[in-house]
Amino acid sequence: MSDKSLHPFERMIVVLSRLVRDGEIAAVGTLSPLPAAALFLAQLHHAPNLVPLIYGDPDTRITDGLHEFFGLAQRGMIDLFFLSGIQIDQWGNFNLSVIGEYHKPKLRLPGGAGSNMMIMMAKRTIFFTITHTKKLFVPQVDFKNGSARDDSIPWRRGVFSHCVTPLALLRFDESSSRLILDATYPGIDMETVAENTGFDLDTTGRSIDEIVPITEDELSLLRGPARERLRRVYPLFCNMLWT
Amino acid sequence: MLLALQAGANGIPFTPVVGFLNSDYLTVRRDFKRIKDPYSGTEYVAVPALVPDVAVIHAFQGDPSGAVVTDSFRNDRLLAMAARKTIAIVEELVDPDDLLPGRHGVYVASVHIDAIVVAPHGAHPTACRGRYDIDAEHIMRYLEAARNKDSYQVYLEKYITGPEDHEAYLEIVKGDAS
Repeated sequence: MSDKSLHPFERMIVVLSRLVRDGEIAAVGTLSPLPAAALFLAQLHHAPNLVPLIYGDPDTRITDGLHEFFGLAQRGMIDLFFLSGIQIDQWGNFNLSVIGEYHKPKLRLPGGAGSNMMIMMAKRTIFFTITHTKKLFVPQVDFKNGSARDDSIPWRRGVFSHCVTPLALLRFDESSSRLILDATYPGIDMETVAENTGFDLDTTGRSIDEIVPITEDELSLLRGPARERLRRVYPLFCNMLWT
Repeated sequence: MLLALQAGANGIPFTPVVGFLNSDYLTVRRDFKRIKDPYSGTEYVAVPALVPDVAVIHAFQGDPSGAVVTDSFRNDRLLAMAARKTIAIVEELVDPDDLLPGRHGVYVASVHIDAIVVAPHGAHPTACRGRYDIDAEHIMRYLEAARNKDSYQVYLEKYITGPEDHEAYLEIVKGDAS
């Protein structure tokens, strides 16, 4: 299967889904069509025992909204969560709130406080970003909603796992405590990734894997039953991606 | 925020939370305080309870007593329990015996609600689950209008300050589509 006929979001959904393990309890919050699609695909493809908790999905029957999700996470029952950011820095700190100075921001977004608890209390968090630019991947975030890990907090259990972007798969390296390049997509070279990242991804002297191209099986599940399930949660996104 | 509302709903002045340590919240929110668990000595952050003066929620149905059924994905019940006064906008008024949560609803007792406003399509241009979808075209129109003061003023006059009531607003919206 040639990757050229794919929408970048389709590639991202597949890469996200491959990071999902069978048997996990995985939660997806608001405004997150890519991870929601990834969970549906993973469940159909390699994780039949996955428990997806998807905010807005009619099949996720809860009574207490996000309060219920948060309670589960705080008690250690969420294995996997997904977050995005308007800035992510070299240490894996992330910003979901403001660009510029906090009290005089150039851009102010609503919410974000729940993300701090989720990354600390879900066992691991995978990030996804719909762009990959130097504006997003900055040396240091303007506002730190949360950090990749923190050994000084005894009750923290969660870590920054990976970050899936339209250009590459990044991962948080525990030994250096830095965000580094894990793999590139077929057809996108390391230089392109480096040119669009505001910090060093530790590629010198390391051999970087190329992501295994999307299989026919993955694509037909994604464009078939996974898409139909996603349509019930994110109809506008599905119309945009698949018309 | 939800735990702060939970504290508000229970009449507790503050609540410890698992979060915020080693984040910039502690520098911009002076009301978030470091505290020690009196039992284990472990450090946490305390946040003050949230008690809104007024909460406005949108519910599927209400009955004449003031009870409502609202969307289970939202935390409207928590909000109504925490706020001093709660106004519920409902799609329709039904008989108390017919006010049932169903597959995606949550029952909120009348003791938590102070006023009900019956307004079919009252969530427009956002969605009301199971009843109508988001009006994406209108949201785009709003986003365009909000880019500068003049166009925003035109938007306000056309949709918000101009129409006499909600029904008149819906008529204008209907006119956009045709």
